[in-house]
Amino acid sequence: MLSVILIVLAAIFFTGIIIRTKSLASGRKGPGILQPIWDVIRLFRKGVVYSETTSFVFQIAPTIYFATVIMAMLVVPFGQSRGVLSFNGDFIFFAYVLALGKFFSIIAAMDTGSSFEGMGASREALYSMFAEPAFFILMGSLALLSGHTSFHEIFAALHIGSQISYALAALATFVLLMIAMIESSRMPIDDPKTHLELTMIHEVMILDNSGFDLGLIFTAGYLKFAIYGALIVNLFIGVIPFQYAIPSFFAIQFLMAVSIGLIESFMARFRMSHNPQFIVALTSVSLLIFFGVLLILQKFM
Amino acid sequence: MMEMVNVSWIVTLLAIFALFFVPSNYKAYTAAFAVVINSLITSWLAFPALSGQIVELSIFAGTFMGDIAIRIDGLSAWFILVINFTSLTGVFYGIGYLKVYNNPAPKLTLHWSLYILFHLSMVWVCMLQNGFAFLLAWELMSLTSMMLVIFDHNNAQTLKAGINYLVQMHISVVFLTIGFIWVYSSTGSFSFEAIRSFFQSNNNTWLFLVFFVGFGLKAGFIPLHSWLPHAHPAAPSHISGVMSGVIVKLGIYGIFRIITFLNSDFILLGEIILSLSVLTGIYGILNASVHRDFKRMLAYCTIENIGIIGMGIGIGMIGIGNGSAIMYFLGFGGALLHVLNHSLFKSLLFYSAGSVFQQCHTRNMEHLGGLIKSMPKTAAIFLVGAVAIGGLPPFNGFVSEFIIYIGLIEGIHSNNLSQILLFVLSLAGLSVIGGLSVLTFTKTFGVLFLGQPRTKLEHKPHEVSKLMLVPQYIIIAIMLSVAFIPQFYLKIIGTALMQMNPLPADMTGIIEYANTIQGISMYSFLLIAVVTVVWLIRSLVMKQRIQRIDATWGCGYTAPTSRIQYTGKSFSKPLGKILNFLLIENKHFEELKPGEIFPEKRSYVSHYHDFIERNLIDPVLSRLNYSVNYFSFIQNGRIQSYVLYGIVFILAIFILTVFNFVS
Repeated sequence: MLSVILIVLAAIFFTGIIIRTKSLASGRKGPGILQPIWDVIRLFRKGVVYSETTSFVFQIAPTIYFATVIMAMLVVPFGQSRGVLSFNGDFIFFAYVLALGKFFSIIAAMDTGSSFEGMGASREALYSMFAEPAFFILMGSLALLSGHTSFHEIFAALHIGSQISYALAALATFVLLMIAMIESSRMPIDDPKTHLELTMIHEVMILDNSGFDLGLIFTAGYLKFAIYGALIVNLFIGVIPFQYAIPSFFAIQFLMAVSIGLIESFMARFRMSHNPQFIVALTSVSLLIFFGVLLILQKFM
Repeated sequence: MMEMVNVSWIVTLLAIFALFFVPSNYKAYTAAFAVVINSLITSWLAFPALSGQIVELSIFAGTFMGDIAIRIDGLSAWFILVINFTSLTGVFYGIGYLKVYNNPAPKLTLHWSLYILFHLSMVWVCMLQNGFAFLLAWELMSLTSMMLVIFDHNNAQTLKAGINYLVQMHISVVFLTIGFIWVYSSTGSFSFEAIRSFFQSNNNTWLFLVFFVGFGLKAGFIPLHSWLPHAHPAAPSHISGVMSGVIVKLGIYGIFRIITFLNSDFILLGEIILSLSVLTGIYGILNASVHRDFKRMLAYCTIENIGIIGMGIGIGMIGIGNGSAIMYFLGFGGALLHVLNHSLFKSLLFYSAGSVFQQCHTRNMEHLGGLIKSMPKTAAIFLVGAVAIGGLPPFNGFVSEFIIYIGLIEGIHSNNLSQILLFVLSLAGLSVIGGLSVLTFTKTFGVLFLGQPRTKLEHKPHEVSKLMLVPQYIIIAIMLSVAFIPQFYLKIIGTALMQMNPLPADMTGIIEYANTIQGISMYSFLLIAVVTVVWLIRSLVMKQRIQRIDATWGCGYTAPTSRIQYTGKSFSKPLGKILNFLLIENKHFEELKPGEIFPEKRSYVSHYHDFIERNLIDPVLSRLNYSVNYFSFIQNGRIQSYVLYGIVFILAIFILTVFNFVS
């Protein structure tokens, strides 16, 4: 339960911090930290425009997308406190329930009959497919390391002792951060600021969404970021008591948001054709973690 | 008990006899009646086995074969029930499917007689415990299904697919025959018990692999899969549904049956099956993602699911070898549950794809689009099938894939380095399969049903008849029951697995996983509840908001046509480009000539080829053809020479016997 509250709190500020960082980096003052939340509230109050090509799929998809993110959030633990749902193999449920949301957002994009949205849908499906093995090898390695099979037990049992496990935690942070970037369609995979439909991924899929539905999609996006942030935090806070763990949760989330902002300010988006290579390289980083775990457990005998 | 078996024979013969006389309109109903009776009888025979009572019978089959043992244990019963259910939905869907076509009466008579025989032969395959009788039933099944595939025999492509299927099935029979004769030559018996005693005293690996190739051809493991993508699209849709739903599962049944007799080498064989299955799964779904013939896409997707089932079998066998009861139950349990699940959603998808084909008369998805407006029920059914086959919650596919996943993770905790590596890579492989099936089915559903029609069809498509829809609703109901009360099905599977012979001793930890799996259905409920709550809030809010209908955002372009929609081809093109060494594309087009200012009308054709068929099977076959050509004088088309061959053969046998060369 604690994790849900923390994730929601983090989600409120997260995107605001990114935008603020980007503004400061480019020498502007920028909007307030809570501006994304005000935007969503305004969207909830607005009317909607539906494309004449669309069917019920288009209307129900944002709801399902939002609900799957909520379900994924319920699975995430916080240090010693379990997630609302915690069971053996819950990280499989986590990945698959998010995939369900993606399934519906993809077909909703196809529902509009727009060539741009189909393009975005195709890219989204491809990139998230390439990101799957990285996540699963990472979780499989952590399961091997800790001897457990659920998020909570894995994270609670992660002891960061030797130098090699620091290296592993750093690599795992990198993998999770990059998966978060792919899932939320940020740099260097996708540029949310771009104004050219041909180069967008996520933004182009939701071109025809408006009003309440768009608000749901935005909210789900904010939550998704905070969820992955929470997973990263969990790599480090295993046995730390709450009075230190909670501040470090916010500190790490803040750091993550700032670094995303800085990355987006000083880096260009990859060429579309390079994205798959980059994402597949992520899997090899995961494999590195796996071999590191084998080293720690001294399985090479 | 025995009387019931006889009743089913008599009903079958009577029904086939009656089919010759009833008028065309009622032929399908006669067949349906016979299938219903046969299903009831065989299900009634199978029911006691579900609760652990093994049914044993024997029939006397003449002096040559002697007494043939019939044995229905939990494993057989499970497959018999799966066969019966899918055959029933198939026959009722088939009534509606064939109704709209004008078929001559003899063709219908043949088709429906074969269907009854086909159903019965599949059930018999699961019951017979004698190698010789088993092969007879197996052969009957292959022949009837081949004849069912070539229903549309005026089409050259269909005939070609049928002959391809026929030949490949006989290669399978050759391997099975070799297997049974091998056992016979060392034990002197064709009964299945002889296989057990063979395995106890001989090397296990090679005989198992011979059987695996035989059954794997039916199941469609790579590189033995190449009949599937030809036969499934060629067959009428109710037949493709039954074939993909159950007939390939009989290959799985055969593998399971042989595993029950195995005595050693579990780890080696398990590792072989697991690695082959991961490759099968990835290969199948990769090919599925690029094809534009939606029935061929479904056929490749069947190969993918056979891969997933095979992964479960591999995990279970390694579990036996390691003495881990958890892996045994999770692996085999996941595989058996996925057999049921796949038979449900694959037949559902083939039926709904058949409905599309019946209304639009094309299997090319690039010509379709926007069907959700004209066929909303079929679209919803296809959507359910697509989500379920992707293994996504809250449907049944997720339950069985989840079980296989936790089986893999359980395997990661083993002590052997090579096993750990294999399991981690399989885990990654299964996740890739999951991701690719999302890509494949979003593409297929999106292109077929969403957006706008891409071409103008001759006839405006309409929703199909109730007779075709109701069987699909029933399948969805069963799918939901698997998703929300999996414990009911898992209990049956557990009983069946307890009866299977090599049972590891250690049983700890099973209960915890049983609770987890039960929990999954609760979380699926929760997911649906969250969706409902959000939807209700949305509907309440939307009531007070202005809603407007307008054109799709065209990026400033105001005259869009339906031709500028994203096509299925372009949807999967990035994937095809990245993996172009595996997904071989053949393109035919003319480049623009240098001086051509006003280009003329030109065409662009592109096809994807099956990598294994093209690089492994075709070259071997063409070499074979080359050398076999030298013997073509034997088949010269003259009856006189054929009679001569017979006489030469009889003489040879006679002389060899007289001089005691053969005894």
